[in-house]
Amino acid sequence: MSSSMINENSASTTLRDNADVAEALGRSYAAGFVTEIEMTGLPPGLDEDTVRQISAIKQEPEWMTEWRLEAYRHWLTMPKPDWAKLDIDPIDYQAISYYAAPKAGLKSLDEVDPALLETYEKLGIPLHERAALAGVAVDAVFDSVSVGTTFRKQLAEAGVLFCSMSEAIREYPELVRKYLGSVVPTGDNFFAALNSAVFSDGSFVFIPKGVRCPMELSTYFRINAQNTGQFERTLIVAEEGSHVSYLEGCTAPKRDENQLHAAVVELVALEKAQIKYSTVQNWYPGDENGVGGIYNFVTKRGDCRGDDSKISWTQVETGSAITWKYPSVVLRGDRSVGEFYSVALTHHCQQADTGTKMIHLGKHTKSKIVAKGISAGRSSNSYRGLVKMEKGAEGARNYTQCDSLLIGKQCGAHTFPYMEVKNPSAIVEHEATTSKISDDQMFYCRSRGISEEDAVSMIVDGFCKQVFRELPMEFAVEAKKLLEVSLEGAVG
Amino acid sequence: MSQPASLPLVASLLDAPLPPSGIVWLDAARHENRAAFAAGGLPDTRVEAWKYTALRALGQRSFAHGDAAAASRAVAASRFALPGVVGPRLVFVNGVFRADLSALDALPPGLTLQPLAQALHGDAEPLRFVLSRPIPASEAADAFVRINAASATDGVVLRVAAHAKVAAPVQLVFVGAAAEVAAPAHPAPAALARSSASELAWHLRNVIELGEGAELNLIEHHVSEGEPAQLATFVSDIDVREGARLHHTVLQNVAAGTSLVRRSSVRVHGRAHAVLHVLELGGALVRHDLQAELIGNGARFDTRGVFMPHGRQHIDTQLTIRHQALNTTSASTWRGVANDRARGVFRGAIVVAPGADGSDASLGNKNLLLSPGAEIDTKPELEIYADEVKAAHGATVGQLDERSLFYLRSRGIPLAQARALLTAAFCRAVLDDLPNEALREHLSALLVAQLPNV
Repeated sequence: MSSSMINENSASTTLRDNADVAEALGRSYAAGFVTEIEMTGLPPGLDEDTVRQISAIKQEPEWMTEWRLEAYRHWLTMPKPDWAKLDIDPIDYQAISYYAAPKAGLKSLDEVDPALLETYEKLGIPLHERAALAGVAVDAVFDSVSVGTTFRKQLAEAGVLFCSMSEAIREYPELVRKYLGSVVPTGDNFFAALNSAVFSDGSFVFIPKGVRCPMELSTYFRINAQNTGQFERTLIVAEEGSHVSYLEGCTAPKRDENQLHAAVVELVALEKAQIKYSTVQNWYPGDENGVGGIYNFVTKRGDCRGDDSKISWTQVETGSAITWKYPSVVLRGDRSVGEFYSVALTHHCQQADTGTKMIHLGKHTKSKIVAKGISAGRSSNSYRGLVKMEKGAEGARNYTQCDSLLIGKQCGAHTFPYMEVKNPSAIVEHEATTSKISDDQMFYCRSRGISEEDAVSMIVDGFCKQVFRELPMEFAVEAKKLLEVSLEGAVG
Repeated sequence: MSQPASLPLVASLLDAPLPPSGIVWLDAARHENRAAFAAGGLPDTRVEAWKYTALRALGQRSFAHGDAAAASRAVAASRFALPGVVGPRLVFVNGVFRADLSALDALPPGLTLQPLAQALHGDAEPLRFVLSRPIPASEAADAFVRINAASATDGVVLRVAAHAKVAAPVQLVFVGAAAEVAAPAHPAPAALARSSASELAWHLRNVIELGEGAELNLIEHHVSEGEPAQLATFVSDIDVREGARLHHTVLQNVAAGTSLVRRSSVRVHGRAHAVLHVLELGGALVRHDLQAELIGNGARFDTRGVFMPHGRQHIDTQLTIRHQALNTTSASTWRGVANDRARGVFRGAIVVAPGADGSDASLGNKNLLLSPGAEIDTKPELEIYADEVKAAHGATVGQLDERSLFYLRSRGIPLAQARALLTAAFCRAVLDDLPNEALREHLSALLVAQLPNV
């Protein structure tokens, strides 16, 4: 691990001049360090025994083991999806270790390995006392086990359950059993089935009836050990009239081989409940020649189960070698609302095929999609979205806007929206544009003494504003910074 | 994705191999495509290009190849008479050329218009490139192109010499005539009716070429005599050379029992301009795969189309426009109106190739759903690999604008009439720039006639 990297994060927070940017942010991936702590884990390989072992390590009840096995058996029969506009090297599922965890059993935050805490320090996660300042409760997932959960007490007073998925399976089996897999069934798709079989941990959130969660909840995922896939499973249930905002950020160390990340996130919003889910995804994107990087194959879906419920996805995707991700909303309840705000940036050899699905089932349901794609280098960036108005979606409404920005001559920006309408009273609108940063805009900025790099970053920031506005404040700042780092060297 | 050749449709289309044509390369191409069709079968809905068009029902039907009595079938000239269209005409009935219905005397200078069979009989060599060209792998999913290449013996060969400006509109008429026209309805047992080959399949292959600086106004007319239950496939290659101008109008108004699968490949060379108007009104299962390539600098391709499925019709238009040269332009405006239990499918893809700087592409698809049983599936796509471009698309599905309805009603126009007016205006937008006024009025009347009596 390189010690010179440690300073980079703190430097980035100071007022910067151009020299600072070049030096501190550079072209390098600031979160690309490896933490050296003792790990236990399963050897690479996947069969029914692996699934049983994971379940046994996590001391899961019998029904959970069976649930996993069923998913595994189904997975074996499924073909790998190949419809996305992605060029994926074949994945050897037997070469992946499906479980890795820090060795010693941990009882409280104070016992957490200092090296580990240092890792979080470097990432700038406000765990421990910094958490209080930031007012964020973090359920930090370090590889596969949730190592520390802060603010449990304050949340417990409000009646909010916020813990790791393994703990939830032990402590609240009836809740987990009721909701797990009810939004994304085990056989939903290839990667969701794999996740269902081998998921190691994740977050569980339960907001009881009428409760407004007193703080924003946050998970910071980090892939650390080599050759491990990360398969987290997140389940958020918001009971009648409740409200929660959830933040998720992701980073992973720099390595030459590709790593697989296949998460499943399920959201359930009952009557009048609201869930806001924000993601800043900054997995290692591989180097400028496309070597290494994370395969981010994620299934995220929300179910507006109750009337007048609302689910909102906001994502800023700057990392990962390949992104395959479609956060969706099933608008089941009458008058329910689904939203999707996305910024996806690809540079060098990154590939992204991302978008959303809005499935309108209930009457007078509404959805809004704002997707901004930015491609630079030799990358490929696709928006793929489905808006479906089923027969019962009386008076349903959708508005979709997809804009793509091209930076450079070797990248691609694509838009594949699907609209399926079966109800004559529903209205679906879709608009998309593709353009580059215009010479006029650049000239205007340059003539006012703004450097080319700063001008690009300003214009890109403006392009993304509509989405950044939806992010919680700390995330918006981070997202903006991430875009700057990721676009470094894209122009000129 | 492939299905066994035992599917009745596949088996029946392969039933009667063509006799040797005496042209070695043509027989080889037919043989190759026949084998590929037999091996590939029909695409299912897992194939992206056929996602919204299921061939299950069609696949269960059998069709007899060709119509032995096509030369003597009575077809009223009023079937294909169009106001404002007086000029050379080529007519096919059930896939067979009919000299008696065609008008090929006194062709304007520079125009070559003849049936493909005739052209092959004369000098086949000029057609060799087009007819023996292997079907690229990307089109492999299209079984109908293969069966057409294997089975079509006739079609249209139309050439306009360089710099020739053909003033009179040229009309291509494709008539499907019902087999029972000659023998009026007789009470045949159901089983017998099914097995008797009253269902007919025929295939036509068209080659259209405009030389440098040539001009042509072309009307392609698909129509039926009686109520034939048929399957017809068309493959058309249209080349518009440097600086040429093509006005192409397609009127598809076949009977409700006819399934029609067409592929048109248009190549627009430098500074050439092709304009296409399409009206898709009739048919059972109708599929039009329209692929345009802008291969020369400054090429321009505009399409305006409307599809109006009603009853249980299924009308699918797949439009792909590839910008492959500098400063190319395309503008596409499409309208869909689906009624009853019908389904309208539209895919409009714009592809800007690497280096195609200065491309300006726009595509709009607006749709109206008039009934709870109807469905519209639309998929505008952008695939952009160059950065000096302007590309935009928009698509909507919905109803008539409430404010416009209110405006009309507040001026004393009853609701039903206001709806009819607005729906007609919605569709007619695609005909606005059709230069032939008499034809425009006629087509517009056809559109209005197809609208439900609201």
